[in-house]
Amino acid sequence: MHIAGSGTFALLLHSLSFSTVGEGMAEPAYTVASDSETTGEEKSSPAFPEIAIGIDIGTSQCSIAIWNGSQIELLKNTRNQKMMRSYVTFKDEVPSGGVSNQLSHEHDMLSGAAIFNMKRLIGRVDTDPVVHASKSLPFLVQTLDIGVRPFIAALVNNVWRSTTPEEVLAIFLVELRAMAETQLKRPIRNVVLTIPVSFSRFQLTRIERACAMAGLHVLRLMPEPTAVALLYAQQQQQTVHENMGSGSEKIALIFNMGAGYCDVALSATAGGVSQIKGLAGSAIGGEDLLQNMMRHLLPDIESRFANHGINEIKSMGLLRVATQDAIHKLSTQTSVQIDVDLGNGSKICKVVNSEEFEEVNQKIFEKCEKLIIQCLHDAKVEIEDITDVILVGGCSFIPKIRNLVKGICKKEALYDGMIPLEAAVRGAALEGAVASGISDPFGNLDLLTIQATPLGIGIRADGNNFVPIIPRNTTMPARKDLVFTTVRDNQTEALIIVYEGEGQKVEENHLLGYFKITGIPPAPKGVPEINVCMDIDASNVLRVLAGVILPGSPHPAIPVMEVRLPTVDDGHGWCAEALHKTYGSTLDLETVQKKI
Amino acid sequence: MRCSSYGLVIPGSDSRFFSTGTSVVPPDPSRRLCPTRVSFVSFKIKANFSDACVKDLTGMTFYQLLGIPESGTLPEIKHAYKQLARKYHPDVSPPDRIEEYTRRFIRVQEAYETLSDPRRRALYDRDMSKGLQLAFSARRRYQNDMEMEERSEWKNRWQSQLSELKRRSMYKDARGNMSWGAQMRKQKEDLSEEL
Repeated sequence: MHIAGSGTFALLLHSLSFSTVGEGMAEPAYTVASDSETTGEEKSSPAFPEIAIGIDIGTSQCSIAIWNGSQIELLKNTRNQKMMRSYVTFKDEVPSGGVSNQLSHEHDMLSGAAIFNMKRLIGRVDTDPVVHASKSLPFLVQTLDIGVRPFIAALVNNVWRSTTPEEVLAIFLVELRAMAETQLKRPIRNVVLTIPVSFSRFQLTRIERACAMAGLHVLRLMPEPTAVALLYAQQQQQTVHENMGSGSEKIALIFNMGAGYCDVALSATAGGVSQIKGLAGSAIGGEDLLQNMMRHLLPDIESRFANHGINEIKSMGLLRVATQDAIHKLSTQTSVQIDVDLGNGSKICKVVNSEEFEEVNQKIFEKCEKLIIQCLHDAKVEIEDITDVILVGGCSFIPKIRNLVKGICKKEALYDGMIPLEAAVRGAALEGAVASGISDPFGNLDLLTIQATPLGIGIRADGNNFVPIIPRNTTMPARKDLVFTTVRDNQTEALIIVYEGEGQKVEENHLLGYFKITGIPPAPKGVPEINVCMDIDASNVLRVLAGVILPGSPHPAIPVMEVRLPTVDDGHGWCAEALHKTYGSTLDLETVQKKI
Repeated sequence: MRCSSYGLVIPGSDSRFFSTGTSVVPPDPSRRLCPTRVSFVSFKIKANFSDACVKDLTGMTFYQLLGIPESGTLPEIKHAYKQLARKYHPDVSPPDRIEEYTRRFIRVQEAYETLSDPRRRALYDRDMSKGLQLAFSARRRYQNDMEMEERSEWKNRWQSQLSELKRRSMYKDARGNMSWGAQMRKQKEDLSEEL
């Protein structure tokens, strides 16, 4: 047991030292404080291999589940909760999170000492609109708008104590891990985590880093709706077993909207195989609905809370709690009375009806519709072919959301075989069991997910354009290549700048890394062929290979470059800017016209 | 500056090249890509030497790859694809055959993507009847892609490089390049070996 423990620690150190390069200061490593409960030696014997647990870290809530040998079980904390609030309070010397911490009142969370919504901040730079939207949260989110990591701090005894999204997430994960270890009576190391569809590969490295800080090893990061698709595949498989049915292909549209993100997936399921045909996602969610509503109730909210003083934070928190409560009530009633005393003499007394709520958030709902249509289009699926429409996540209770999803899919009823808040974590637990090589005598783990790339990956070329090499919704593993050429005569160097995203211009996408090809033999522009190949392997590792060929030459002109990405760290906003400043367009490339 | 002074073929997409009124030779795929093919031959041989399965598969039609008759229906294609995914997806691969399985799965995926799209399938069938038996060189015509011959050689080239890299990384990070499923199986194996 102790050997296993030290092994974990070594890995932790390794990953820390590995990823601290270029980050300035190393962040503290968090380890589980109590080691006494980890006495599950007999359970981790080869006869009963360690089953990876599934974790769903939501923007607002978090849950943890495991395959218990015959079915999926959600773990509960000491207060018998399956859903735990995703936040960390920096009240005392030792920070505590929503897993173990007992809140006397929700308002405590809004005193400036609690940090939440980390999933919206992790891996984002301070020029990101999502970061800017987070500035109205009741803790400090400061931006310099130069493309670096935002400054985040909690108010502790009238001192702003700085932290990072990774650190907050790690503290929270340590608590989750300790809770699971206590209950399962064995050490936990391997996890399957769900992530939003719109997360870039850079953001994934941040999640992995937070896990490493918490001593967890990420077996797989699974886009949330694909976890739901896996659960659906298992349910369909069971139905087939029971009915001895033919097991024909079923198309499911999965719409998952939580507090921070909205994700759509289309899956084709047959015989336990869940083939992801399309993914679409965006950083819109309940948080946006809430903020729009708060702004509706208090139009001068920005100027009022600009100072982030203790009193402002408190009133902002009060308004937040009252508005949240009102939105919840609007799921079951058509109007709600809001009555909140913000202190400093201002009060809000207002009746809000559901029409107002829908009008205020019209843009968000339109975006949801667009995501569904985009996903259908990408997957080349006709609405009539959809077997089931699955609606999950916290926002699935909102009548407007239910209606718009049903409307687009032309369905009278939604799939009712899942608990909306548990579907993703259950899927993650299934994946954890399958990935751990567990087999089930009844074939309940006889499952396979064929994943697709949620975002396009490509390079900067043809001026300031993003040219995808692996397009969005390409089945993984994948390898694709494109030929580029030089833009100037005797151009001997070229910059390969790799981005991920959907925007046409590079700045609309996430920078993943860059490298320079040098030693291109002097030739007129347009002559050297620069073949850029992208490869996503079985473990979702992205590699970019670049080779140079001169027509007539029997060999590649220079050794092929191979780069594992992402290579950027938190200063990546600077990097793109600096590259542009230093090189301008001198090292540009353009695509070679595709032949008929 | 006139492009023609170089007397070279310009593969560029830029219309400027063609509006200069010079004797620019229009891009001719076969001619232009010829040197490329030559350049990678040595690597191809090397790659095939180390991996016989590539050679077996490249000669197969998409129908043969999926194991269905040329008259196969769409449900049959989908069924065959899912069956083969269960067989060759790297997630179900034995730990020591990840690369081979990955390659096989990608081929199956290419076959499935072509045959499950009626338009692409029709073009593929047309090419096949014209005698372009090589599934992978026939695909190019309607994929707007670069020449497949070159493509597969390019792949072989970097695949051999990749396998070299993986061999190296096996020592320092024995599990880093495996699929997560394989990692677990490996872990299990290691564990039982120790006991």
